[in-house]
Amino acid sequence: MSYLPNTPTATLPPWQLLPSLKKLRLPWPRQRIWLRAALLAVLAFFILPLAFLVATSFKTRDEVLSGQFLPVRPTLANWPKVFEIAPLHWHLLNSLAVAVLSVLVTLTLAVPAVYAVVKLRRGPLLAGALLSSYVAPPVVALLPLFFLLRQLGLNNSIVGLGLVDGLMNVPVAFWLLRSFFKQIPLALDEAAWLDGVGYWRTLWRINLPLIWPGLVSTGLICLILSYNEFLLASVLNSRPDMRTITVAISLFQGERIVNFGQMAAASLVGIAPVYLLALAFQKYLIGGLSAGASR
Amino acid sequence: MLTPASFGLAVVCIVPGLYTLALAFTHSSLGQPLAAWSGLGNFHALFQNPEFAQTLLRTVLYALPASFIQLSLGLLIALLLQALRQGQFVRSLVLLPLMTPPVLVGVAWKLLLAPAGGLVNGTLLRLGWIAEPVSLLGSDTWALPALALADTWQWLPFVVILCFAALQTLPADVFEAAALDGASTRGIFLKITLPLLAPALLGIFLLRVVMSLKTFDLVYILTAGGPGRATALASYEVWKTGLQNFDIGAAAAQTLLFSFAVAAVTWPILKALQWVERRTG
Repeated sequence: MSYLPNTPTATLPPWQLLPSLKKLRLPWPRQRIWLRAALLAVLAFFILPLAFLVATSFKTRDEVLSGQFLPVRPTLANWPKVFEIAPLHWHLLNSLAVAVLSVLVTLTLAVPAVYAVVKLRRGPLLAGALLSSYVAPPVVALLPLFFLLRQLGLNNSIVGLGLVDGLMNVPVAFWLLRSFFKQIPLALDEAAWLDGVGYWRTLWRINLPLIWPGLVSTGLICLILSYNEFLLASVLNSRPDMRTITVAISLFQGERIVNFGQMAAASLVGIAPVYLLALAFQKYLIGGLSAGASR
Repeated sequence: MLTPASFGLAVVCIVPGLYTLALAFTHSSLGQPLAAWSGLGNFHALFQNPEFAQTLLRTVLYALPASFIQLSLGLLIALLLQALRQGQFVRSLVLLPLMTPPVLVGVAWKLLLAPAGGLVNGTLLRLGWIAEPVSLLGSDTWALPALALADTWQWLPFVVILCFAALQTLPADVFEAAALDGASTRGIFLKITLPLLAPALLGIFLLRVVMSLKTFDLVYILTAGGPGRATALASYEVWKTGLQNFDIGAAAAQTLLFSFAVAAVTWPILKALQWVERRTG
């Protein structure tokens, strides 16, 4: 058996799709055609909204109203304009800083806990409490956290929001990491303990090197969760210069007369970092997401 | 090794829980929390008015069907991918909706569904299916389904990935044996695939129900709870009470009721999941 937890499945680059399509022309051609059509419909449902967003970002206000899919006379004006209206690059940096900090917090808390629960069979109560705390909607903790952070002077700061997001993601990380840790045989740990290696050292030197793909998957998923977070960010970091990108874009529609072209461009600015991450690390993401399904 | 996580749990769960309890029984404002004891006053006001009970009911009636539809479609698409052996390519493609920040999913669907210049209205008009633009998000009947549509766009990929992963774990020999015995495709699906998948499917359903009950971002962006209160889901309502109307005590009381409702809905599903897992071993 492989010690690599959840070997990331290789993903096909688009250009390899053509040969694999050829391979499929097998027994029941007619049924195949129907299935293929269904698959195309599914893909269209997922891709069209994004394509429309991209197309809209190149439309003038008049062209938006025509309801055409593609702009007849595309304009680039929306893109520089959105950076004039709001310092989106600044909000992006806020978001990224919060997200990175939150991942560090999440992993620092979750990794030792998972190790203790899976390998040392300690704290089943904590495991249950962590997982059931995921059920609670974030709005439940919103007001108390608001008062708590204000007391500590941490509202409207990267550190405060990063801590809160990081703590919020611990249950998710715990759930994902659990399935990764379970795949490393206990015998390895026991051998280390017998040789007098401490628990922390065993975790650091033996387990982490083996599950690093799982660690990357978990970190990425938590990173994206924090980046995408809106409710807590809007309340805890409400000062204009501390807003994260999701909050900044949500205000885009309120403050001025709605200009769909500009809204689309601003949205794409906000989406771009996650999509770049998703494309670069897709095998880790799918590995991590699928790991959540197995117990 | 458990200390850091226990500390984290205390900060985001136990402390807020106790604090909410305290807020619910007091008069508070944003500037001055816990100003004066009010006993059951906040709850009394809540029960006087049926609005919040309706909101809770609306939230549950939104989360359960939406999750069920997403699960059914997700399983269907996963089976389709397996039949066409297209799993990997499609899975990388559908990652994009899944990764999109929910706020921006809201913006994208707002553009798509807009009465003036939206893709849906533009296309339907051009095809001649409708005579004049319809505003789905502005209609009492269609606003909530439209919200569910945007939610489905985002989360269906997640369900597909999980269902696809679960399908891969099914033992191939059972299917070969069934095929040798001349079982029909439908029979195989109903009598073998579904029962074997039951624990995984229930698990995915539970996860989706939990997430749907939390829906906030889409409501905020797409409808702001409107028209009227047609799409006022519980998270949004609590937020509005606390941070728009600044009625902190009432918001805390709503929070507590909401938590009970969430527990009441998820508990039976969890029990069913455990029961199925025990049965299948």
